[in-house]
Amino acid sequence: MKRQSSLVSESALLEKLVQRDQKAFQWLYDQYSPALYGVVLRIVREEEHAQDILQDVFIKIWKNLDAYDANKGRLFTWMLNVARNTAIDSLRSNKTQLSNAIRTDEENVHIVDQQHNTEQPNPDHIGIKEVVDKLRPERKQLIDLVYFGGYTHEEAAEELKLPLGTVKTRVRAALQELKELFKL
Amino acid sequence: MNVTEYIASGILESYVMGVVSDQERREVECLSSVYPEIRQELDQLSSTLESYALLHSIEPPVSIKTKLLEQLTFDEPGKQETIIRPMPVDIPSSPTYRITWIVAASVGLLLLVFSFFLFSQLRTNQKTLASTRNVNQSLQSQLRQLRENQLQSDQTLALLRQPGLRTFALHGNEKAPQGNMLLFWNTQTHQVAVQVHSLPPLPADKQYQLWSMVDGKPVDAGVFNATNENQLVQRLNRSVTRADAFAVTIEKRGGSPTPTLSTLLAIEPVKS
Repeated sequence: MKRQSSLVSESALLEKLVQRDQKAFQWLYDQYSPALYGVVLRIVREEEHAQDILQDVFIKIWKNLDAYDANKGRLFTWMLNVARNTAIDSLRSNKTQLSNAIRTDEENVHIVDQQHNTEQPNPDHIGIKEVVDKLRPERKQLIDLVYFGGYTHEEAAEELKLPLGTVKTRVRAALQELKELFKL
Repeated sequence: MNVTEYIASGILESYVMGVVSDQERREVECLSSVYPEIRQELDQLSSTLESYALLHSIEPPVSIKTKLLEQLTFDEPGKQETIIRPMPVDIPSSPTYRITWIVAASVGLLLLVFSFFLFSQLRTNQKTLASTRNVNQSLQSQLRQLRENQLQSDQTLALLRQPGLRTFALHGNEKAPQGNMLLFWNTQTHQVAVQVHSLPPLPADKQYQLWSMVDGKPVDAGVFNATNENQLVQRLNRSVTRADAFAVTIEKRGGSPTPTLSTLLAIEPVKS
């Protein structure tokens, strides 16, 4: 699996990246741009916009490499957070788009999934339906809202008309379930 | 603090989902660095989200990578970039300078060689011209000489061709044993000329004098020199109407009215 190979070379890669090595950047891009693009596209739901954001994300990563602390987590996690935060910030800067996104969330996620399945017959991604199907629908919905929608607990609670505590519990349960699913 | 309880609280899940406050975030980061169990759980949750994100991978358009590679600044491989960097600035310019210098030097050298060639040509031409001039001068003098000789020859020939010419060979006596000359006398025009073959040279104040013997008396027939110089024949400026014999004496320059018999060198009778 891609991620495993990247784990081994992460510290060496990071060293090269800090030296501003172009080959290291290309490797980083080739390795992670599909994942980051997928996340960004899920959040903003518009290819052109997502492409602009992806570009910004990699510029941010490149410029803020020094801010990355390997003790706080892996590089990919950090990169995912940069991508996610950039995409969510971009959404929040346009409130109408955000409200739009809230209303049509499920619909759009479905569209993205369709696009993804037809355009990218990548073996790595074949498992998506299995995994997502195994996940309880209410948990999947919550992960998508929080992780891909940029919702806070409060916003999610309001959106789903659930108590805040339930939302928090469900987020934990959803992640724990995902964790177990990926362990299999 | 109860680590298990903390892990079970759901704060770590909220942390990895990015839905914690700044204070909570600092707390999680601090505790995870202290408690390996928290660290481990956090890593597993991060890993889970990574996997989940990877499931949603979509290949972005190639143009983004191209744009990024153009936009971002990279360092060349190697560690002395800052030292090496000025070199590419110098290297492309130095060949240009070098080529310019090579071209300039070549042109200069070419001009030098060409001017040297021209100079040597000039010298050769000058030499040729000088030698040609010399040859021309010597040829001219030879021509002048030849013309004079031609004139002399013509005159001599004219003299000899005239009818009535008589020729006498005069030989030196014991005072001038090598003496040898020819005497031309035209009995009709009365002109006299001599052609000296060999006679002893004389001091500057002396000359040879020819005498014609008429009835036993010597008559001045003119003076002449020991050599013919350029002339084939020396004409004597006296006319001889009659002669029984011819004699040659050495006299003072210009001639004497009467011969000095002690200097008589040759005498030749005229046979009629």
